[in-house]
Amino acid sequence: MTDVLQREARAAARGHDAPPRSRVPYLRTIGLYALTLWALVTLVFFLPRFMPGDPLRALQDADSGQFIYDAQERDKIAAYYGLDKPLVSQYRSYLSDLRKGDFGWSISQNTPVATLLKKRLPWTLLLTGSALLLSSTISYFVGITAAWHRGRFADRALIVVLSATRAIPEYAMASALLITFAVTYPIFPQAGAQQAFATYGSPLDAIGDVLFHLALPLAALTVGLAANKFLIVRNTVISTLGEDYMVLARAKGLSRRLLKYRHSGRNALLPFVTALGIQAGFAVGGSLFVESIFNYPGMGTLVERAVTARDYPLLQGCFILLAVVVLIANLAVELTYAKLDPRVRRR
Amino acid sequence: MPPEPASLEIGDLVVTYPGPPPVRAVAGVSLTVAPGECLGMLGESGSGKSTLARSLLGLLPEAEVQGSIHLGDIDLRCLDEEGWRDVRWKRISLSFQSTTALNPVLRIGQQMAEPLRVHLDMSHGDAGRRAVELLGEVGLGTWAADRYPSELSGGQRRLVMLAMALACRPQVAVLDEPTAGLDPATRNRVLALLRSVRDESGMSLVVLSHDADALELLADRVAVLYRGWLAEVGPAASVLGDPRNPYSWALLNARPTLASVKDLRGIRGVPPNPTELAEGCPFLGRCHQSRDEVCRPASPPMVPPHGEDGPRMVACARGGVVALLAARHLRKTYTSGGLLGRRSSVRVVDDVDLDVREGEVVGLVGATGAGKSTLGMLLVRLLDADGGTVTFDGHDLLGAHGAELKALRAQVQMLFQDPFEALSPRLTIGAAVREPLDVQGIGDAAGRRAKVKQGLADCRLPTDDAFLDRHTHELSGGQLQRVALARALVLDPRLLVADEAVSMLDPSEQAKMIQLLKHLQVERGMAMVFISHDLSVVLRVADRVLVLSDGKIVEEGSGGSMLASPRHEVTRSLLSAAGRDLLFAAADT
Repeated sequence: MTDVLQREARAAARGHDAPPRSRVPYLRTIGLYALTLWALVTLVFFLPRFMPGDPLRALQDADSGQFIYDAQERDKIAAYYGLDKPLVSQYRSYLSDLRKGDFGWSISQNTPVATLLKKRLPWTLLLTGSALLLSSTISYFVGITAAWHRGRFADRALIVVLSATRAIPEYAMASALLITFAVTYPIFPQAGAQQAFATYGSPLDAIGDVLFHLALPLAALTVGLAANKFLIVRNTVISTLGEDYMVLARAKGLSRRLLKYRHSGRNALLPFVTALGIQAGFAVGGSLFVESIFNYPGMGTLVERAVTARDYPLLQGCFILLAVVVLIANLAVELTYAKLDPRVRRR
Repeated sequence: MPPEPASLEIGDLVVTYPGPPPVRAVAGVSLTVAPGECLGMLGESGSGKSTLARSLLGLLPEAEVQGSIHLGDIDLRCLDEEGWRDVRWKRISLSFQSTTALNPVLRIGQQMAEPLRVHLDMSHGDAGRRAVELLGEVGLGTWAADRYPSELSGGQRRLVMLAMALACRPQVAVLDEPTAGLDPATRNRVLALLRSVRDESGMSLVVLSHDADALELLADRVAVLYRGWLAEVGPAASVLGDPRNPYSWALLNARPTLASVKDLRGIRGVPPNPTELAEGCPFLGRCHQSRDEVCRPASPPMVPPHGEDGPRMVACARGGVVALLAARHLRKTYTSGGLLGRRSSVRVVDDVDLDVREGEVVGLVGATGAGKSTLGMLLVRLLDADGGTVTFDGHDLLGAHGAELKALRAQVQMLFQDPFEALSPRLTIGAAVREPLDVQGIGDAAGRRAKVKQGLADCRLPTDDAFLDRHTHELSGGQLQRVALARALVLDPRLLVADEAVSMLDPSEQAKMIQLLKHLQVERGMAMVFISHDLSVVLRVADRVLVLSDGKIVEEGSGGSMLASPRHEVTRSLLSAAGRDLLFAAADT
């Protein structure tokens, strides 16, 4: 009995002078992501170098057409690319270049890779970002409402239709939309992000034009993402409906809106946000296909061109940048998750 | 403004969870809770308390609810979800039993403030401040409002639930196990708070609990619930102090108190399968005083128990707990001498009144020569009384003769101190145990043999043929006493009078025998008169203890109360001989 009293007393004492909540978990999470980033950058550096052969092989091979007879000339070229130096010092200069934002030189486009990336990244961010946002909004609200009316016709129809669309790959969806709404019924433009050579009367017009071009690629990307999250939200909300805290919330005579969005939806947010984090990677990957189909001037078309031209510096730059984007998205999700769920924070 | 006090009226409420198989959780409960009254509802887990609580707030969409519920002039059964929203929490609130009922992702303060904002139209700031005040009432500090449920202990969460239920000062607060898991100090503070809130706002309380002590402190009236059926309802003091329904008697008899000295035993049998609809009385299968002819036909109506016409009602076809054996003005005088010498007479039993209820163990203690054994033999009519009456199950035992007496003898058996004397040395064990069956002419040879073996097995004795063929001198005292017990029980008596039945045994055999006796008594639902000079043994076994001195009963009470505060000189001396002074020396001097 005294045990219980003491425990209660201790618990009460803890409550009174509880220390400010520590930031350490956040720092640890961020540190882990920094480590992942470093591993990634290193992998991108070492992977091609551990593969058989090297970029100058053709120049050094007497049997190849590109053989350079002058040994001094060969060394000069190797020195120019820094390939005569030991691996460690190559790695060091690679890192210091990256830190300065120098991704190297694109061979096929004869431009610094960084310049190309800087021009293309915003479009990809616009596409994937708005796809994630739109799909989240739709799936969250539709998912909760469907769960609330579970078993009714609309709910069942949504499950069937969305399960099916979830199985369609983005490029197939993109092609179908392109053919239907830009070719058969030419409502939306077929390609690009803006009207070519257009001059806009006001910034509003410019935004309108951008959105107009964005519509189809966005739709192609959003449908799959929304379907996935819809199912997660619907099922989580249904599982919360039987919980005691939902009965308590109803017993308290709260309005339906409070029940749906605060008590039930709030609990569904947790798996929802987890799904969102996983989807960030899928969305970026999907956007590469969608962009190349709509010839959207984002990273996707850049990657496509780099692959066909075997422009390795450009390809490397694209991969690093996309990986960084995905990592940042995941970090953001993880930090949000800790904000949403007090139980995660307590660890 | 909190609404005016109102009464809650429940009429013939039936709640069935659809199957398959359907479960009838509440089976026809009618109750009224007056404004400002506290109704305690006592019941085991699974008795339908929580279902009843939820049905009062219309929180059982999946169940079929029949009957009427009125709160003031509102008919709660006619409300739609919209109508409920105005009633819930504002007029009737519910503190859940489960401490996981708080939403894990919302802060305590936020959850506390919700009903205040919705029902009392408070602003965000006012509701937050009021929430902190309410938490303070139950003894939680300001800090609690900023916490999430997972950051509080189970007891703290229960306090939050309680504070939340009282938040809008509703007309009725339904509290499901409000004090479970709280330490005694916190519990008493909570009970004090509930009393003061009730006095101040005229709120009615419905307290569901399996904790009789909490109800004793809080409730005005107590209802006892079993299988969703009301077993007894009446003023708290009479229901808890002297329960008259066999179920409530058995339930409260198993309740431990600080002064409990007897071995506690649960109610015999197993809790009923909830999918089975009760046929007749719901307690039939486990009741120690059931009689098929009156208890099986129908579910019993609520009536005042025998000898009462007050507010208390019990649902029992036999009119509540009945006395199995009632002795009145029993007298016995032994006369010695005469003819040539001087006649001298001793009143051994002097005007004794004694009741033994069904299923009850009455302990009879007294010094040597106090008349214990004589009284025991009078009760089973092994001696003829000089005066007075003994009624057994409605029959006059002393006046019975012939077939009636023979039938009564089968119902009342006696167990003596010395089994070597009690059992004939000429009979084998098998024959000795079988003899009562032979005398009563029950069953054929094979049936008797089976009954004998069953009886021996029940008394934890071997049942092989070699054992049956042994004679009494081949067994130890402990074994033989169990043979004597098997012989006494082979007729399934309703009453066993055990006279110093364990006095001859060594401590280990004695402990085993006491446990066996108590176990068989509870399982068979029979009554027992346990006679001994050894108080420490009697206090372990008996539900009620009588102290006999010079043929008179001088004190009566529960073993615990007798140990704590003996009133009569004889009791004191018996207790001090048993070593009570070592325990209580400091307190009494």
